[in-house]
Amino acid sequence: MADRATIARPYAKAAFEHAREARSRDPQAFAKWSRALALAAQIVADARVAEIIKNPELTAAEHAGLIAGVAGAELDASMQNFVALLAENRRLTLLPEIAAHYEGLRAEVENTVDVEVISAVPLDASQAGKLERALAQRLKRTVRMHTSVDPALVGGALIRAGDLVIDGSLRGRLERLGTELTS
Amino acid sequence: MSIKASEISELIKERIEKFKSAAEARNVGTVVSVTDGIVRIYGLADARYGEMLEFAGNTFGLALNLEQDSVGAVILGDYEHISEGSEVKTTGRILEVPVGPELLGRVVDSLGIPIDGKGPVNAKLKSPLERVAPGVIFRRSVSQPVQTGLKAIDSMVPIGRGQRELIIGDRQTGKTALAVDTIINQKGTGIKCVYVAIGQKQSSIANVVRKLEEHGAMAHTIVVAASASTPAAMQYLAPYGGCAMGEYFMDNGEDALIVYDDLSKQAVAYRQIALLLRRPPGREAFPGDVFYLHSRLLERSARVNEQYVEKVTKGRVKGRTGSLTGLPIIETQAGDVTAFVPTNVISITDGQIFLETDLFNAGMRPAINAGISVSRVGGAAQTNIIKKLGGGVRLALAQFRELAAFSQFASDLDEATRKQLERGQRVTELMKQKQYSPMSVAEMALSLYAGNNGYFDKVDRRKVVETEAALQSFARSSYAELLKGINAKPDLTKDVEAGFKKCCDEFFATL
Repeated sequence: MADRATIARPYAKAAFEHAREARSRDPQAFAKWSRALALAAQIVADARVAEIIKNPELTAAEHAGLIAGVAGAELDASMQNFVALLAENRRLTLLPEIAAHYEGLRAEVENTVDVEVISAVPLDASQAGKLERALAQRLKRTVRMHTSVDPALVGGALIRAGDLVIDGSLRGRLERLGTELTS
Repeated sequence: MSIKASEISELIKERIEKFKSAAEARNVGTVVSVTDGIVRIYGLADARYGEMLEFAGNTFGLALNLEQDSVGAVILGDYEHISEGSEVKTTGRILEVPVGPELLGRVVDSLGIPIDGKGPVNAKLKSPLERVAPGVIFRRSVSQPVQTGLKAIDSMVPIGRGQRELIIGDRQTGKTALAVDTIINQKGTGIKCVYVAIGQKQSSIANVVRKLEEHGAMAHTIVVAASASTPAAMQYLAPYGGCAMGEYFMDNGEDALIVYDDLSKQAVAYRQIALLLRRPPGREAFPGDVFYLHSRLLERSARVNEQYVEKVTKGRVKGRTGSLTGLPIIETQAGDVTAFVPTNVISITDGQIFLETDLFNAGMRPAINAGISVSRVGGAAQTNIIKKLGGGVRLALAQFRELAAFSQFASDLDEATRKQLERGQRVTELMKQKQYSPMSVAEMALSLYAGNNGYFDKVDRRKVVETEAALQSFARSSYAELLKGINAKPDLTKDVEAGFKKCCDEFFATL
């Protein structure tokens, strides 16, 4: 009875290896596979499709055909094979985890990192730029910033990069002060 | 005198100013499931084995299962407020407990937090729960005695400073009583005691604490309590916490004694955690490393040499050895010492004291089976006088056991055999001792001398106990100097022997 992530890992790894080898012929292979997996994951997440996948009356080929049909030209031959394989092994519902793990592997190789920056007030261009450079230096990767605003932070910003959380918000400081005073 | 309001706000202002408010970078994961005190966490890729994790509401946990995609942690405390999706942070610290002389006289839980309502502990030092035992080079062989004050033990299965002696028996055979008597007898010897209660009833723990207080033993004792209602993780960690507190004294060139009451319950708590963490069950459903659970704990009870003490105290203490004597307690079911955990611990310790229900019910208390009880340190840990006098006891009891089957036909036996039987019966009676009545070395030596030299042979078997008590009080009143001299210098010199002879002749003449 393993984790969903544990079952998804071999599939993601296989897709990643395939894309890596395909780069020699097509330099856009990584990006194409990213889009394809994201799209397939989104399709599978839709309530109506999820119902159909659960239906045991339909064959694996029919499940795969449904997804390929909706995705259309986004899935090339090898991607369609991938979806067919997942359908045969009854693992279509794992597509979100597979897509997520694939992105992780891709980010490792391309040395990028997705960083979420939540600030109390919107950041202007110079602030965002300074933050990006500082983070790039600290994490030693190319940083892709995704900013959002949350007034509940009161002030400052909260930065999430994978597992790492840097809490520079006023709310966080107040919480820490509170814990220290009561301990 | 009331506290001024301004004083309070001054204090708070001071703390706020001292508060360092740098933005902190931490590793964060999310709780995926919470069941029975075990939490599965997604993320936390950098968590290390045995690291302390911080949950919401200032609760801490221990990372015990590091899997590919998740971390399994056990919560140290209440977990009702932790819900799926809540955040978990790493702390970069391993579990520590406060250590030091400030803990003496206190009752604390597995992590050193006081539970006796006498205020905070204010210890200056902290020590990690898990430590590697001192290496071979740093050890010194056991040569000093731990006086338990119990005749049966000090004469036949003597315990030395730095030894591990297992107390094993069924329920209600006097295991805890033995350990408590030993702790009480350490008053004034300079040995600090730690009593670790694992999985016991809180009423039992309260009883023990009260008895220790009554006999003035709390001043040199630390009680670590993980009662039956505490989470399994706390019961699992309690012995290690107590050991860390005892090691403080060992590292400072002092002697300490630690009682683990009892390790069977710790193994059961560990089994619970391991099964909930989905580790594969082995023999009797215990996880595969239950031997290591006890061996790494008991190896930390040792005698360390002067070089080690000097090194650890950085030259502050020179020329003194330190020791931590371990008295683990194991409860057997129906006397089955071939069960898994008892055999494990027997093979780890330097000897065992077997307590039997039959002996207990027959009135022999302490209910020690002298035949199968052994101390692998033996004579090296006995004072001279007891070594010389105690040898006869073992022999008499051994011969008595050989002939015990014939005791029903006592009238049909030859003189020599009958004498042996009667001597054995009297020695057995002499080995009985009341609870909370430890004896000094001199008193013990007197009883043994009288027994060995046949003074009790004339006394009726059923009257031996009260006769011995009378002998002791006679010696205390009329031969106090002799007893004092022996306690100061425990050697069986000609003078001492003559003194004993005089005392016994005088007393037994009055009977």
